Amino acid sequence: MTIQAPQDVKTYRRQLRRALDNAFLRQTLDTFAAAYRESRARAFEGIDLEGLIADIARRKAAALPRLQELYDEFKRRAEAAGAVVHSAATAQEANERIAAIARENGVRKIIKAKSMTAEETFLNAHLEKEGFQVTETDLGEWIIQLRREGPSHMVLPAIHLSRHQVAELFEKVTGEKQDPDAIEKMVKVARRTLRRAYLEADMGISGANFAVAESGTLGLVTNEGNARLVTTLPRVHVALVGYDKLLPDLETALTILKALPRNATGQIISTYVTWITGATPCAASPTGRKILHIIFLDNGRLQLAKDPVFSQALQCVRCGACANVCPIYRLVGGHNYGHVYIGAIGLILTAFYHGVENARALVMNCLNCQACKAVCPAGIDLPYLIKNAVRHVLDQEKRRPVKNLLLSRVLKDRKLFHFLLRRASLAQKPLAGKEPLIRHLPLFFDKTHGFRSLPVIQAVPLRDRWERARPSVTNPAARVTLFGGCLIDFVYPEQAEAVLPLLADHRVAVDYPAGQTCCGLPALMAAEKETARDVALQNVRAVDLDRSDWIVTLCASCGSHMKENYPKLLGDDPVWGQRVRRFAEKVIDFSSFVQNVLKVSPEDFVPTSQKTAYHAPCHLCRGLKVVDAPRELLKTAGLEYVPAKDEDVCCGFGGSYSLEFPEISAELLKRKLDNVEASGADMLVTDCPGCVLQLRGGADKQGRPFQVCHIAEAVARTYRKNR
Amino acid sequence: MTDLDLVALMTEKARSVQTVVERCPDWAAVVRYTVELTAAQGGPTVAPWGLPEEVRDMLARGASEKGLRLLDPPFRAHLEEIHTAITPADWGIAETGTVVLDSTAEDCRIATMLSETHVVVLPEARLRLSSFDVADAVKAWHREPPRYVAFISGASRTADIERVLTIGVHGPQHLHLLILQEGAS
Repeated sequence: MTIQAPQDVKTYRRQLRRALDNAFLRQTLDTFAAAYRESRARAFEGIDLEGLIADIARRKAAALPRLQELYDEFKRRAEAAGAVVHSAATAQEANERIAAIARENGVRKIIKAKSMTAEETFLNAHLEKEGFQVTETDLGEWIIQLRREGPSHMVLPAIHLSRHQVAELFEKVTGEKQDPDAIEKMVKVARRTLRRAYLEADMGISGANFAVAESGTLGLVTNEGNARLVTTLPRVHVALVGYDKLLPDLETALTILKALPRNATGQIISTYVTWITGATPCAASPTGRKILHIIFLDNGRLQLAKDPVFSQALQCVRCGACANVCPIYRLVGGHNYGHVYIGAIGLILTAFYHGVENARALVMNCLNCQACKAVCPAGIDLPYLIKNAVRHVLDQEKRRPVKNLLLSRVLKDRKLFHFLLRRASLAQKPLAGKEPLIRHLPLFFDKTHGFRSLPVIQAVPLRDRWERARPSVTNPAARVTLFGGCLIDFVYPEQAEAVLPLLADHRVAVDYPAGQTCCGLPALMAAEKETARDVALQNVRAVDLDRSDWIVTLCASCGSHMKENYPKLLGDDPVWGQRVRRFAEKVIDFSSFVQNVLKVSPEDFVPTSQKTAYHAPCHLCRGLKVVDAPRELLKTAGLEYVPAKDEDVCCGFGGSYSLEFPEISAELLKRKLDNVEASGADMLVTDCPGCVLQLRGGADKQGRPFQVCHIAEAVARTYRKNR
Repeated sequence: MTDLDLVALMTEKARSVQTVVERCPDWAAVVRYTVELTAAQGGPTVAPWGLPEEVRDMLARGASEKGLRLLDPPFRAHLEEIHTAITPADWGIAETGTVVLDSTAEDCRIATMLSETHVVVLPEARLRLSSFDVADAVKAWHREPPRYVAFISGASRTADIERVLTIGVHGPQHLHLLILQEGAS
């Protein structure tokens, strides 16, 4: 069986809508997300996780330029120990090689341990076509094999199925009635049925988690023990291994092993870790030793390893965590969030292993919420690679959507961009009436976009108000540049204006240079890297770094983009590199600045009993890694903070994402607002104007009993001198 | 970390993955434990592998008293008959509750994979804190291939149906770890 991914966004959206209606799936994945988060945290207790991730990333990255050399060493060692080592350039070649090995050895029945690499090559389909009988032995893989489906998760391949579906399936297989609530009994059905398959098989196929070059050793990590039986009982063993699994030494494998089970399933170790070096004794073989073939699959990996950006994808250790924490995966499941490889890494690898046509639609489905990046044990910047993969797909297909061309054209010319924004303010007048909200969208939007009200663009943006609004501070204690970003400047200038008195009272001189423009994140999100670079330079040029102790922003997305991506985009630039890095170092979010730099005191505020929930913007809590400051600031400012469920899960905005995939955006928004309502809060605050747009628009449209505001406005309201 | 701390940590971590842990003062206690456990489970057979000869003899006597059958290698002849496997472990890793077995011999593998219950005997002196503390020993094995080295932490398990943890899919359904005290004879 081979599978196909949706080939265009329209088809894909239809598929996603169907998935959103699957109540069992949502419930299962919700429970899983919560349980995973807890068990992972427990498993890593007492471990320096950041240090471990950095160690794994460094070791994997160092192996990638040496893959060919590591292969040669592995081959030499393993062949000296009685194995035969092959290299297959393509999936087809690997499948044909395995079928040939089976024929040469008179094989009829084959048992398999779970291997994502074999899924990648659609090995079973090939072997069945060649007349071999193939049985998967991992319980989840066996279940989906019987259903003729692909896996919906890299570690839990059958997570999308209910016990009832499994019971029904096992009834067909065994001809006996099954009790869906007796899961243990169903597992025993598998034990008995598959035991026969082990005993009758002529050949076992496995993958490998590690290929240790120094000794020619394969490392396999499993819980069920099936890989041990697959590699022991039949006379022939074939291991299909991606080139990216090659490691120099055992220490590197043990280092990865420290993180892999903890991150995959929240176990401190998987039940069985098996190390196989060479052809071990096997009484079923005519020679008394195992007939062992190890096939390394290239299928694009060796080329990928040379790519300055995408090589990072080969650091993946296949733990599946990027799916576990993805808010979109959680809504729609793996069959709708990946092709063969699932989750964030799947969006990237599909473009390279299964052709851009299968990646075309999938790769667009990313909120850039950074949840995957925060949990990756190999330190892969998954959202960044996904955005690069979007561009890769466009380049391969020689496409450049009109909206990309427009975006680039407009963003590169700040005056044109700002002129258009001012024009838009006039154009929306008939829609808004007297209110600052648009509740009914013009007809060129389709109705799926109507899940939230939209704010209006202000007639007078912050840049035009600045001369009047700017507070005068003599003998300043600190000098800051305020970076507005498009939303603060043109939509929500009042959020910045609200805090100017507080800043002035603390002797902060604020400058708002008119040369600043969009931070450039939308360009990067649209895979327009050159434009992102161009816009970044405009901003760096606009700020006088010698007269700015800090660059303060009220927008978490702008802040994290400037702090992390600017050095990535321009840090190596011979002319601008140093200045860009200095710029990035000065960037700070509003909450951290007020709470930790100004160190405002509770005496500056009048306490209120208003219950306040908090939404942690993705780009603040994960992008800038600011977690405590805003919550502490709420307390300092006399607001009664009430915790809500999933505070750090994305609100579904994701910039233009909410326009591309409105159904997903709306569902994430609904859940967020449900959680806030359940907390009993009177007010929801957050520190990103993008999140305010989404949350306020949703709360208005759905008539929620709380108001939504930026933390800057909330703090300004309780500020004593303002009252 | 003292030896006693290591034993305590090993015990705690192994129990957390459903391994039954006992300390045994000597081999006689190991034999007694294994025979009684097998009889209590209604298992008809015991397959010993890698035990000192006198312990194997002791086990043969104990088994026959309880009406249990002792299986002899090659175990390929007994693939579907093994109830209890009893083997020594080469190393223990305390921080994950893991035993390390050089399972290169096919009989060792068959016994430890196809039995219902695996009793594994770990001399206290072979206990280490982390996997990195046994890395040199494992590397030494790898330098003398062929090798099949197993890290085992608990009984076979799955969570593939609705993520419900279920013990005993393909490998042994029970793992009993007997920690053999220092100076045991």
